Amino acid sequence: MNDIVVIGLGSPLMSDEGVGIRVVRALAARSEAFPGVDFEDMGTGGGRVLHAIANRGKAVIVDCAFMGESPGSIRRFLREEVLSRKEGGGLSLHGGDLIATLELSAALGESPGVTVIYGIQPESVSQGEELSETLMGKLGEYVDAVASELTEVRGG
Amino acid sequence: MSNTVDINVHHVTRVEGHGNIVLRARDGKIEKVEWQVPEAPRFFEAMVRGRPWSDIQTIVSRICGICSITHSFAGTKAVEDALGIEVSKQADKLRHMTHYAEYMQSHILHVGYLAVPDLLGAKSVVPLVATHGDAVKTVIRLHRAANEWSDWLAGRTTHPVTIKPGGFSRNFSDSEVREWKARLEKEVVPDLKAIAGVVLSLADKLPAFERPTEYMALTHPDYYTYYHGKITSTDTDEEVDIHEFERVVNEYVSPQSTAKWTKWHRDSYAVGALARFNNNADQLLPLAAETAGKLGLKKGCGNPYMNNVAQVVECVQAVEHALQLMDELLTAGLKEETLPDVKVRAGEGVGCVEAPRGILFHRYVFDKKGRCERANICIPTNQNHANIQKDFEALVPGIIDRPQDEIRLMMEMLVRAYDPCISCSTHYLDVEFV
Repeated sequence: MNDIVVIGLGSPLMSDEGVGIRVVRALAARSEAFPGVDFEDMGTGGGRVLHAIANRGKAVIVDCAFMGESPGSIRRFLREEVLSRKEGGGLSLHGGDLIATLELSAALGESPGVTVIYGIQPESVSQGEELSETLMGKLGEYVDAVASELTEVRGG
Repeated sequence: MSNTVDINVHHVTRVEGHGNIVLRARDGKIEKVEWQVPEAPRFFEAMVRGRPWSDIQTIVSRICGICSITHSFAGTKAVEDALGIEVSKQADKLRHMTHYAEYMQSHILHVGYLAVPDLLGAKSVVPLVATHGDAVKTVIRLHRAANEWSDWLAGRTTHPVTIKPGGFSRNFSDSEVREWKARLEKEVVPDLKAIAGVVLSLADKLPAFERPTEYMALTHPDYYTYYHGKITSTDTDEEVDIHEFERVVNEYVSPQSTAKWTKWHRDSYAVGALARFNNNADQLLPLAAETAGKLGLKKGCGNPYMNNVAQVVECVQAVEHALQLMDELLTAGLKEETLPDVKVRAGEGVGCVEAPRGILFHRYVFDKKGRCERANICIPTNQNHANIQKDFEALVPGIIDRPQDEIRLMMEMLVRAYDPCISCSTHYLDVEFV
């Protein structure tokens, strides 16, 4: 297990919902450029993120995010900077809430040294294996942003 | 003075709809009590159309992030059925072991993250870290072990990559099996016993609500099955071939729900851990049977809240049977196997397995080039919706005089007991900056 993990979340079958997976796949394809980094496609199994990040030096999570931004926008943020508006986690394990998972990790005392989230505002979350044109046109920008997180010394 | 109860628990998501609990009553008279749900996503059926048989598992494994192994097996078994692909006894045992890893992942998470907080009066598992740290850490340790168990056999924790028509894409060694057998015996079994103890200590807090219910599950003459067998229910001695599953699920439309409801011998039926237990409890292995006895779970139980207890029993059963299969594999010695050559042909196939939350059906029709022409996927959550509604209708009159918050909690706990699969094919964040 390497000290740094980059996790992509979402479904590649739901258009922009899968953007996190696409970014991580692109980075994993040139993983030799990132020694000491694990890349994980964790799909929609939210609760498992808890174990993938436990006691790492750094975790970088890339996910589709409704943030009130214009479609295609990317924002880097920490758990402490946001409140989750996600409802329904109380009725079901499904559609898990990443923010709640990070809170549990902190309560257990096994949070990574630094946890960074890259949220990408979707244009379309509906059936389809392709990203929307807006996000597709910016995929390289997203990959570069996350790559810089791995090559530059940046804290929380 | 009029006494009005007005409960609206809305689970609104941005993508797939909602699952709402609605109750309106005045002076003890119930005006409306409803479990409102949308159709679970059926677009995966459209997505597999036109795709080759070899793509099916990859696509359907993304239907659900928690049941991705189960969907992989249902899809793969349907492909094997349609194209006449054989699976070796060794691969069949390894598949059972893979399935059991998912059972433990899902059941432990459900019991630990949703049921136990309810019984301890907590809003989530997070505050329990401070008050019940040992129990929470045991749950997390079991979930972590189950994830690693999945990693080993399925190739990764989420959305498996080793499950292929005809077997597995990789081979497994005696030493790997020995290593996992030791871990299950030394770490997992003691932790499961500890969790059973926690649930036992809280069992008297489960609502004592019973409603005569039809329970449907797979059944098999040789073992407590999650994987092979025929369809049966507690209302019949009939065992129906899985190829006739549409005959038992009987989908119908209810005016209050955009999701189709299902029924067999009554207006509704239940699927899931309690359904399997009620049909197959006589086949539990010794430790699982002992656990059920300690927890007071008896065949014929009609209390939906006891589904959580049945999940604990099923975790023990899964590990116990996995250990038995590991012994059999080690006795025979693991052999190197290759995936069979597939002779593509036109055909139709059905795959049926028990997902942690109930029986799951996949049906595909392939053309002569092995491209999917038609698909029908019937998930357990849809099969439970009508039963949740019938439970509500029986539960609420008996508790309508209680404080509104207590009524709401009991209704939420009832839904949670079924762990409905809502928004399972997406993950997105929904945040505001502070």
